[in-house]
Amino acid sequence: MSEENNTNPEESADLDNSRRDFLRYVCTSSAAALVVASESSAAAVVEEANSADAEVTVAEFFQGHFVLMSDEEKKQAIARLEKRYSAQYGKKTTVSDVAAPDGVLFGYALDMSKCIGCRRCVHACAEENNQSRGESAIQWIQVMKIPKGNISFSAEELEKGYPEKSRFGDYGVQVGGNAYHPAGLTTEGAQSYYQDEAVPDKDFFYMPVQCQQCEKPPCVKACPVRATFRDHAGVVLIDYNWCIGCRMCQLACPYHARRFNWGEPNLPAEEMNPKTHYFGNRPRMKGVMEKCTFCVQRTREGRNPACLEACPVGARKFGNLLDPESDVRKVLATKRVFRFKEEFGTYPKFFYYIG
Amino acid sequence: MICLHKASRIVVFALSGFLIVGMGSCKVASAAGENAETQTAKPVTDCYESREDYATVSRTENAVPEYGFPSIKCSKTTGAVLWYGDPYEGTIPMGAMPEIKDQTHGNFANAVVKPREPHLTYFNLGPNGCKTCHDGKTVPNPKDGKPRLLSMHQDIVENSLELQHGRGAVWCLDCHSPTNRNKLMNRRGDKISFNQPQRICGECHGEKYIDWRAGIHGKIIGSWASDGGKRRWWVCTECHNPHTVQKNRFNPVKPEPPPPLPRGMKNASHERSETE
Repeated sequence: MSEENNTNPEESADLDNSRRDFLRYVCTSSAAALVVASESSAAAVVEEANSADAEVTVAEFFQGHFVLMSDEEKKQAIARLEKRYSAQYGKKTTVSDVAAPDGVLFGYALDMSKCIGCRRCVHACAEENNQSRGESAIQWIQVMKIPKGNISFSAEELEKGYPEKSRFGDYGVQVGGNAYHPAGLTTEGAQSYYQDEAVPDKDFFYMPVQCQQCEKPPCVKACPVRATFRDHAGVVLIDYNWCIGCRMCQLACPYHARRFNWGEPNLPAEEMNPKTHYFGNRPRMKGVMEKCTFCVQRTREGRNPACLEACPVGARKFGNLLDPESDVRKVLATKRVFRFKEEFGTYPKFFYYIG
Repeated sequence: MICLHKASRIVVFALSGFLIVGMGSCKVASAAGENAETQTAKPVTDCYESREDYATVSRTENAVPEYGFPSIKCSKTTGAVLWYGDPYEGTIPMGAMPEIKDQTHGNFANAVVKPREPHLTYFNLGPNGCKTCHDGKTVPNPKDGKPRLLSMHQDIVENSLELQHGRGAVWCLDCHSPTNRNKLMNRRGDKISFNQPQRICGECHGEKYIDWRAGIHGKIIGSWASDGGKRRWWVCTECHNPHTVQKNRFNPVKPEPPPPLPRGMKNASHERSETE
């Protein structure tokens, strides 16, 4: 321990020097960049940087939080992104910043009794939302295969367990045997990596889980830089450029809904969806968080999310929770509905129901 | 002479039926072989929507020129439709729907459906649809609706005396019009198009029908807005096969591949519960 701390005085002096050099370098360069960014002629510099390096521009690195930008800054930011994506993927890419409609609170309902676990929603989501593919694939929906449980306890196992004994005596607490059969709706023994020839499998049901778009989102509370926030239509969004990649939100989310880009995303150009939204499916970069946005690029323009359109059994319903005529409200009015992990007090707007 | 003529027509009919079935199976086999070898080379073009053989659909390139979207994108492993570039391609208006004057009424003003008639094998054998054979002469109209053993259509109903719908209470001609085989028929004898099966299914399956009208049962794609938005509705027979519901309610489907395992993990055996 002490040996490790005792470093050679010469070496430490070198370290100090190099640290000082480094700090000096960082200070001067970032100061220069800040000056450049704040100048009125920033646009020209941006153009220059763009043409020099289409990968990452200086201006993009130094841009502010998108929500706090002026209209002019937003326009510039979007033009930068469109130019970069179009060059990178070899097709004309649009980045929308259309605002959420007023008087709308988005909600989702999923019929647990209908879901057959075919995972089409998972892959439809990837087609729509430009997630990383292949080895480093990122999927926003996780389909859990859950055993229905052995409700019929068997008489043969009556003797297999044993009552738990303690030094205070036998309280009749059962261990093993029938006591260890999961029964009813339980996530005990849930599988997400199942590889079946055909679904639905007998004695199992399926539960897709994605971002629950909480009314009190713990991820938003955890974010130290407010890169993730709840918009006025109730959808939790991320400004990928403002995200610092600390992954606090991932820890805070009780639904395992958030995914982190550990490396540069692997998105083949031919599979890239060129209709994107700033807070939605525009291609992400290394070191940022992403998650389901209820397909913000579609739903803000009136169209249903991609997972709903792919579901072959019609288990997914989407709509405006403020409109009593919407599909979701009709489900809430007539079916038995529950929220996942309700006890956390997150108030999700993603409802599960038994149809 | 007439008898001979009739026999020859039936033979031609049966042969063509075999031919079509054979072609169909050949196509499926070649598609499967192609998928296994060249998975990423080119997009899958022959796809199905809900289940295989129920609602087949083919891919159109550049259906949305603004973004270069194809009409659909299909799974490379199963051929299932995953993504719609144009959700309204090939749709027609749903047509007149009976009004139900309570809070469960559906909003069908902007409802479109995919027509079912192009998917019916026998309907498309001749220029007059089913009437090509069921014209009252080649195959005479039945005198009554009593169940009998059919000598045709075994591919649809294997044993007509054990029709797998209604548990013995339903016979073909309770839903198919005896006088106009191109149409379905409800209990009052109204002719109903094959494109509007919901109007006949709903006569018995009222609870599901009300849920369907409300947008709870079944599937709707396109706009999410309950008023004004154009929406494509799925009709009953796009998911349910009315001839096999009892024995074979739904054909199982092949699931899409699982997510990649976390780095360093060899298998997913950690997920198995200890009771298995």
